[in-house]
Amino acid sequence: MPGVTLRGLTKRYGGVAAVDNLLLEVKPRELVALLGPSGCGKTTTLRLVAGFLTPEAGEIWVGERCLSSATAVVPPERRRMAMIFQSYALWPHLTVAQNVGYGLRFKRGMTRTDRDRRVSEMLRVVQLDGFQARYPSQLSGGQQQRVAVARALVVEPEILLLDEPLSNLDANLREEMRFEIRRLHETFGITTLYVTHDQAEAMVISDRIAVLDRGRVAQVGSAEEIFQQPRTRFVADFIGRTNLVDAVAATPDAVTRGALRLRVASADLTPGARVSVSIRPHEIAFATSTEGHAGDNVVSGRVRRVSYLGDAVDYQIELADSDVVLRVAAAPVLRLRAGEAVRLTIPPSACVPLPE
Amino acid sequence: MRSSVVKSTFDRSVPVWITTAVTLVLLMILPLGWLAWVSVSSEQGTTFANYVQVFGDPHLQKALWNTIVLAFWVGAASLAVGVPMAWLTGRTDLPGKRTIRALIMASFVTPPFLGAFAWVMLAGPNAGLLNKVYRGLTGSDEPLMNIFTMSGLVFVVTLYSFPYVYIMIVNTLELIASDLEEAGAILGASRLRVALTITLPLALPAIISGFILAVLQALALFGSPAILALPAGFHTITTQIWTFFQYPPKVEQAAAFSIPLLLATALLLQLQKRLLGRRGYAGVGGKTGARRPIPLGRWRWAALAGVFAVLACTIVLPYAILAKAAFAKAWAQPLSWDNLTLANFTFTFFEYSATRDAIINTLELGIVTATVGAVMAALLAYVTNRRLVPGHQALGFLAVAPVVIPGVVLAVGLFIAYTRPPLVLYGTLAILFVAYLTKELPVGYAQADTTFKGVHPELEEAGRILGAGRLRVLREITAPLARSGIIATWCFVFIGVIRELSASIILFTPATKVISVVIFDLKEEGQFAAISVLGLFMLAMTFGIVLLMQTALGRDFLGAKD
Repeated sequence: MPGVTLRGLTKRYGGVAAVDNLLLEVKPRELVALLGPSGCGKTTTLRLVAGFLTPEAGEIWVGERCLSSATAVVPPERRRMAMIFQSYALWPHLTVAQNVGYGLRFKRGMTRTDRDRRVSEMLRVVQLDGFQARYPSQLSGGQQQRVAVARALVVEPEILLLDEPLSNLDANLREEMRFEIRRLHETFGITTLYVTHDQAEAMVISDRIAVLDRGRVAQVGSAEEIFQQPRTRFVADFIGRTNLVDAVAATPDAVTRGALRLRVASADLTPGARVSVSIRPHEIAFATSTEGHAGDNVVSGRVRRVSYLGDAVDYQIELADSDVVLRVAAAPVLRLRAGEAVRLTIPPSACVPLPE
Repeated sequence: MRSSVVKSTFDRSVPVWITTAVTLVLLMILPLGWLAWVSVSSEQGTTFANYVQVFGDPHLQKALWNTIVLAFWVGAASLAVGVPMAWLTGRTDLPGKRTIRALIMASFVTPPFLGAFAWVMLAGPNAGLLNKVYRGLTGSDEPLMNIFTMSGLVFVVTLYSFPYVYIMIVNTLELIASDLEEAGAILGASRLRVALTITLPLALPAIISGFILAVLQALALFGSPAILALPAGFHTITTQIWTFFQYPPKVEQAAAFSIPLLLATALLLQLQKRLLGRRGYAGVGGKTGARRPIPLGRWRWAALAGVFAVLACTIVLPYAILAKAAFAKAWAQPLSWDNLTLANFTFTFFEYSATRDAIINTLELGIVTATVGAVMAALLAYVTNRRLVPGHQALGFLAVAPVVIPGVVLAVGLFIAYTRPPLVLYGTLAILFVAYLTKELPVGYAQADTTFKGVHPELEEAGRILGAGRLRVLREITAPLARSGIIATWCFVFIGVIRELSASIILFTPATKVISVVIFDLKEEGQFAAISVLGLFMLAMTFGIVLLMQTALGRDFLGAKD
């Protein structure tokens, strides 16, 4: 089972780079999610890998095979890949069995009986046994999705590509299918690229996440790494909610903004440099006089607004002697009112400095 | 590092695209280029003398004026008929809507010159049946109406132009949500106020563009003016251009007279496109709730009577008189057993050689043009929809561009372009084929374009990634999904070809007559019975194809999915 390597991949549309010198390595049997907002180049990247598009520069390698370069491109049908589309792209004029069996017709040395058996097996895996003779229009959205999955997996591709496959499903079904796709990945172990704009989906499904920003990979890592140690302002802002404080480095491990001074999770800042600091709302705690670890940042402020969200309460806190407003997520046990004076403790490990 | 780059194989489709592009240039650029050139040329070189001569001639000025009068009144009358009918069938509880729609569709596909001809038999000042009945009832010496007048011409042309208005408006009304109207009603507006202040303004772009389509129809028409205006002693632009081709032909003047017609058409279509392009602001579209028909109450049956009066004039009376003339020994005599005969059929199909040849020519041209046209339209629509070549937008534009060329003008251009080397096509069926192909391509392209817009590209990509090559995907996925749409394209082109008169009348030669031209000739000879037989034959063919098309599309081709 080979991996996929993208080297300096570039694709322009009318002078604008949709994918800009993109580098990414997907290890064998790994599932990597390409995550980003619309227009970040994730779908273009996937279509480049599939061979529907030709890159202007860069190369795509699968194992020892170079599939795309600026001068030559292997057509999609010879890439030994399979893809699951956003629209499912089930052929309405073919039955479920014909849809699923289509790709097997291009496998050498496979008899009709073999094909039928494989199709039946695969339909059992996706829990659609007995639906062979139906047409796609006779199926529900979730069932259509399963047919699309079966059609892609039955050919035993080297690489599986998924383009926002769950975006047409309703919320409950979407959640269920996340686990289903993860389960199938663990069963078959196919190297997979998964495009999504939904961070929760990316976190549940993937081994690693590649966050894309304006055609480049902003950061690659496990869900935990990306969430806890974002490397750019974009990643910190895009993944989960966060407070971003623009400040200036005062010492190698502390920054200031006006009267506010924060110790941060670093020891090598250049004093005088501009630094953004990301602080997750749930890492900030309300301090009572006795609580708090030595060395925590302690700041005082006043509650500006309270929003009750059921499982948490969202506070906006105006810091004293500062223009900074922090959002704080706290358990609903504690109920503060707007206008109350509060003290906050922020561990330095929760203050992640980001280069500008 | 070991490299296993596979060179991309040469794409066999490239020559196909190039051929199509070249063909489009041959169909469009060559005739229009020659038309423009000849209009400014004389033996002394480049000149505007042709224009000066043509537009200085009082007779020709009169023809120009007649055309403007005709077009304007046809537009206005089409609105007067089409708007209420669209509202009645689209929005109210009028009974018999399906039948009404079917009959309006029948008026839409009836060749206007057949209608004009039927109305000669119905309302000619002396022998016209309606006038005879009127005289018999009243004892008057005066006819009820004389169809050989400008108002008669406006009347007949309107009967076959109002469906354009009707289609535009009925389709728009279907998109205007009832909620918008109910929002007005809940704020206290009466039913009439809602219609005037909400529905009407929302439908206004469609109404104006329907008006423009009807005007264009009247501008480009040759048959009806030739049948009704010429005996009345007046000309329109199209009949005048045709006269320029009577011996000795004055091609330069015909060209100079064609250019303004071409420009007017182009301008009006541009205007119409603008109007429809703005439609977004109207809030038309989006989610529409269930349609709640407006109760007409006691006006229900009066409205129905009005609608059927119109449809009697477009369909019932003309078809009845054609049938009568086809089966009667003498069409003007009362229908009795003695007067019935099949001799007209034997005469038309077996004895009169011109008709037999014309039928064969028409069928041949219809089948060849429809086949070539459908293939071309499909290719072009596929290329533009899938953006397969650089400049694909230009191809799409070229494919619909001929829509601005009135048939007569196209014929003048083709006549000039293909009576000289290197391509001497005049005198062969080929020149008619080129004319029909050019004229029908926009309709065919529009149909094919809709078809491919309905085939999601991901359906093809899914086939590619699973191992099927481009041609295999075309054959196994695209073709089956597009099939019914392409059959409909074929039918549209075929129907357009078999009824074509305005270009044929200039391009035919004795050996290359088609049915419409023969009907026109027979009129000069006063062979009413043979005309009626040919007319019925033509209608039967048309309706046969319409049925085929509806089966293929699974809906009626005005766009309803009832």
